[in-house]
Amino acid sequence: MTRLAARLARSALAALPLALLATGPLSAAEGGGGLPQLDTRTYPSQIFWLIVSFALLYWLLKTKAIPRIADILETRQDRIGADLDRAARLRADAEAALKKHDAILAEAQAKAQKRLREAQERVAAELARHQAELDADIAKRLRDAEARIGAAKSAALAEVATVAAEVVQAAARRLAGLEVGLDEARAAVERAMGAGAR
Amino acid sequence: MADPLQQFEIHRLVPIQIAGLDLSFTNSSLWMLIAVGCAYWLLIAGTRQHALVPGRLQSVVELTYEFVAGLVRDNAGKEGLRYFPLVFTLFLFILMGNMLGMLPLPFGFTFTSHIIVTFTLALGVFVGVTILGFVLHGTHFLTFFVPHGAPKAMLPLLVPIEILSYCVRPISLSVRLFCNMMAGHTMMKVFAGFIVTLFSYWMVPAIAPLAVTVALTGFEFAVAFLQAYIFTVLTCIYLHDAIHMH
Repeated sequence: MTRLAARLARSALAALPLALLATGPLSAAEGGGGLPQLDTRTYPSQIFWLIVSFALLYWLLKTKAIPRIADILETRQDRIGADLDRAARLRADAEAALKKHDAILAEAQAKAQKRLREAQERVAAELARHQAELDADIAKRLRDAEARIGAAKSAALAEVATVAAEVVQAAARRLAGLEVGLDEARAAVERAMGAGAR
Repeated sequence: MADPLQQFEIHRLVPIQIAGLDLSFTNSSLWMLIAVGCAYWLLIAGTRQHALVPGRLQSVVELTYEFVAGLVRDNAGKEGLRYFPLVFTLFLFILMGNMLGMLPLPFGFTFTSHIIVTFTLALGVFVGVTILGFVLHGTHFLTFFVPHGAPKAMLPLLVPIEILSYCVRPISLSVRLFCNMMAGHTMMKVFAGFIVTLFSYWMVPAIAPLAVTVALTGFEFAVAFLQAYIFTVLTCIYLHDAIHMH
């Protein structure tokens, strides 16, 4: 067995380049000349080495290469998944912050509007009060003025009556030589005025 | 002119005889191991950085991985992902075999251009999928060969046809890959040979055969990928049949 291995190794090293030239083709060695593919004498060797190399490749891939590639792909998948998760979480955070911000803004707006309304109401009340005061003042002044005017009017009317009575007195004395008392003249004037006014 | 079939010849590199069988280490075996080494190196080198944002090599690895995973998921369903390592190995092994066969080396070799290799792969898929079908569904898996909604009278005719079409799968699967690789490589060699022949016999600059060879080379790269893809997709579809039965 060891002699076979030694022989294999020696031949592999020494004879490899020469082998192609030195050894004739398996098929042509016995004057074949047909298709090399149809030479059944090469079949055992081909099948044997096919099984050996295929099994070797299968073993290498199954135990070494495929786990490595699968690991790389899986790592990437995990990484991408983790990144996506993180992005989703950040997005949720941002949305929550936005909501909070909106709420604060709305609250502030409501507060501002309330203040504005209060101020408006206060101003309106003040205005109404001032207006009422002013109206009362004006009305009072108006009444005073009217009273004064009334008084002046009646005073003036009394004056007119007196003047008319004196005129009547003087006219009666001049025209008829009658001496008429002032009170009598006044009564007559008032009677006439009353008739005239009627 | 060199024999265009010479590229398919198998040479013993290390003669090994075990139990009367010739299991010699050949150029085919060497390229199989190189394919394994390249596939493994690509995946390990690409994932060395373990970068969150992949570089170029890591992108290649990840794209390949997701491409095959997508194939399995789309064609065999979520349950099919259990068999993803096997499908991934199959895809990489065939892809590497096809692509390494495109290397313009004097000792270059395309192990997928041998029917016995593709047939062994296809048979492995076929046997594995069939066993899986029976393990998952028991004898109920046999109803897979009875088409739904077919009239009873037709069944004696339809069931043998279904069984036959099922059993032909490994042949069509393997012959498709083998023929594509062999025909393409032969064509390339033939047209490349024309360049030499034209020039050495008549001293004519062989523009036309050169152009054809260039075009064929690009075409062959496409075929190399496409055939690996088709083999993988069909494997996924067979897996789907075994898991879901239609």
